[in-house]
Amino acid sequence: MHRNIFDITKNVTVWEFNRFFKWMDLVKGLLFFGFFGLIGGVVGSWAGSQASKAPVVAVTHYGPFSSGDFTEGFIRFTDATLLPADSTQIFYAEGRFDAVLEIHDVNTASIRVNSDRAWLIQLEQKLNELRVSYKLDELGLELQVYDDLTAQVNLERLFDSGEVSSVVDKVLAGGAIALLLMAVFMGFAYQFTAITAEKQQRITEQVLSAISPQTWIDGKILGITGVGLAYVAFYGAIGIFAMLALSYVGVPVHQTLALVNPVFVLTFLLMALLGILMWNAFLAGVAATIDDPNTSAKSGLMVAPMFPVMLAFLALVNPDTLAMKILGIFPITSYAVLPARMVLTSVAWWEPVVALILLAATAWFLRVMAGRIFAAGMMMYGKEPDWREMLRWMVKGTDGETN
Amino acid sequence: MITFSKVTKQFSRVRAVNELSFTVNQGEIFALLGPNGAGKTTSLRMLLQLINPDEGAIRYSESLLTEGKLERTRIGYLPEERGIYQDTPILKTLVYLASLRGMPTSDARKSAMEWLERFEIADRAADKVSTLSKGNQQKIQFIASIMHGPEFAILDEPFSGFDPINQEVISDMIRGLREQGTTILLSAHQMLLVERIADRLLLLSDGRELMSGTMLELRRKMGDGQKLEVQFSALTSPSLLVESSLLDAREDTATGMWQVLPRPGVPLNDALQVLTQAGRIETLRTAQANLHDIFIQSFGTTNGGNHAS
Repeated sequence: MHRNIFDITKNVTVWEFNRFFKWMDLVKGLLFFGFFGLIGGVVGSWAGSQASKAPVVAVTHYGPFSSGDFTEGFIRFTDATLLPADSTQIFYAEGRFDAVLEIHDVNTASIRVNSDRAWLIQLEQKLNELRVSYKLDELGLELQVYDDLTAQVNLERLFDSGEVSSVVDKVLAGGAIALLLMAVFMGFAYQFTAITAEKQQRITEQVLSAISPQTWIDGKILGITGVGLAYVAFYGAIGIFAMLALSYVGVPVHQTLALVNPVFVLTFLLMALLGILMWNAFLAGVAATIDDPNTSAKSGLMVAPMFPVMLAFLALVNPDTLAMKILGIFPITSYAVLPARMVLTSVAWWEPVVALILLAATAWFLRVMAGRIFAAGMMMYGKEPDWREMLRWMVKGTDGETN
Repeated sequence: MITFSKVTKQFSRVRAVNELSFTVNQGEIFALLGPNGAGKTTSLRMLLQLINPDEGAIRYSESLLTEGKLERTRIGYLPEERGIYQDTPILKTLVYLASLRGMPTSDARKSAMEWLERFEIADRAADKVSTLSKGNQQKIQFIASIMHGPEFAILDEPFSGFDPINQEVISDMIRGLREQGTTILLSAHQMLLVERIADRLLLLSDGRELMSGTMLELRRKMGDGQKLEVQFSALTSPSLLVESSLLDAREDTATGMWQVLPRPGVPLNDALQVLTQAGRIETLRTAQANLHDIFIQSFGTTNGGNHAS
């Protein structure tokens, strides 16, 4: 019977991928969001249609203004100055009027309405405009003078880096970080579930009698990384598709789409791949030492990948500090920080190159260390190794064969 | 096919295996027996290179090696600690496990279906493993360990978890494997079954060999292989039986019958003399000592059968 290490690793990778990647779950998730999106849309459009019905406001007293100032618009004004007060109240109670407005003087007015309504803001704006106009007449001032008086200073922002991180940039960078966060946490959940369950279900010995621990952990890391990337690609594609759809209906998202260029996508995917591989290797090594996830003190280590993602969010605030430049290259944090910096500011050509090389080397190193811990940890039942023991395994290898 | 030479393994203060030497010949069924903690599973794990010996050497025949390394595709292993993926379909699980031993997918699928049919659970091939009874899950594990047609199969407690009927089925299958050329090393506690299928046996105690050989050789080592079954009408001095250096005697508490094995080299007359001094014999018959008797006689019953090493 012929076999080689690549075939076996591929078999384990495919097995692990298929264990956790469920097309039906994605479809169900989409249907779920689609269903609630549809309901939201229907409810929203119904509420919008209700809101678009112009409210009828009866004006019982115009104060210093005239009925001619209250022309038809979003609010329908009805002159009720000649109606007896009790008739106005009856019409209001019957719902023929939505509100009853009384303007006392140029500065004060009162309105009776069933409850707070969005169109009250528009009414307030209308009354303010009338008041400004009235006051300008009273003072004998031109509208142009008023505009000049109320104009604001136009502060032009000039950044030394020549880059301006717009809200659009930050949205894209935030989206990229969120996708990485999702992939890493999927890795966390699946590695934890897969490895601790295999230990608890005593599957370990059977598999390790057939393949080496390093081959097994390699397949696991690749398979579960594949799941994370598949979800990143799926939801990333949905995000881009949604932006294209928004762009098509006239929403100004073209700036965001323009940032999604091939160089960014390639770098982001490479960083994401290596970053997720690196953290999955780390998580697999930790999970192999956990005997009972409910009581293990090492479970806390599993949230370590959160740390670089937190730092990446700091990059959103100021991507050009020296600290962010270093963290964008430092292998433990670069996979999250560098893509964010690439969107928010300009980075030198060598930064992604150095970051990728360092990240790949670290991922490889962690893979070997995790393999050594995995080899010993997976055969250890009933007690967990202490830190010193784990360090010894990492340095010297383990008792088990690792061919 | 496999040779253990003075193999020793120590776990902190416990010496699990102590200068153990034995050879498993090609085409035979070799049984490793001993009470709990005697070092059987540790020996098997060392053989599979899951753990390494501290001292001594394990040698493999050329047919089990590729470029000097153990070729795991040619080995089948049924671990004592049973476990299998619960949430995946049975056939898929078997094909995956066979693929780890280098079996092409199409061959693995065919072989898995043949074995499932042999166990009369082929109709459950698409079901998840978790839907099977414990006994049927054991069958899946057994299939997983031998479906790739190994040259050498290590079966640690292959009968455990099975009812007597299925124990017979498994026993027949193990014999069938040997007939097809597979060498088998097994460890089990079902003495009657082991006695029937094993070509040679090794009794382990505290990580050391107590005795080894064919069943006939073991009987000879335990005396002439004769067992006396004695019913006393009045047992006046039971201590004579228990403390005698000429024989090993134990009472079957269920029947009140004494099972007596004369020690090697002790004439039957001398043994009978001890019996008559101990009490008045009502009935006496001779039988051939079986593996169970040898096991009990070798390891005794006084310490609860626990010869933890």
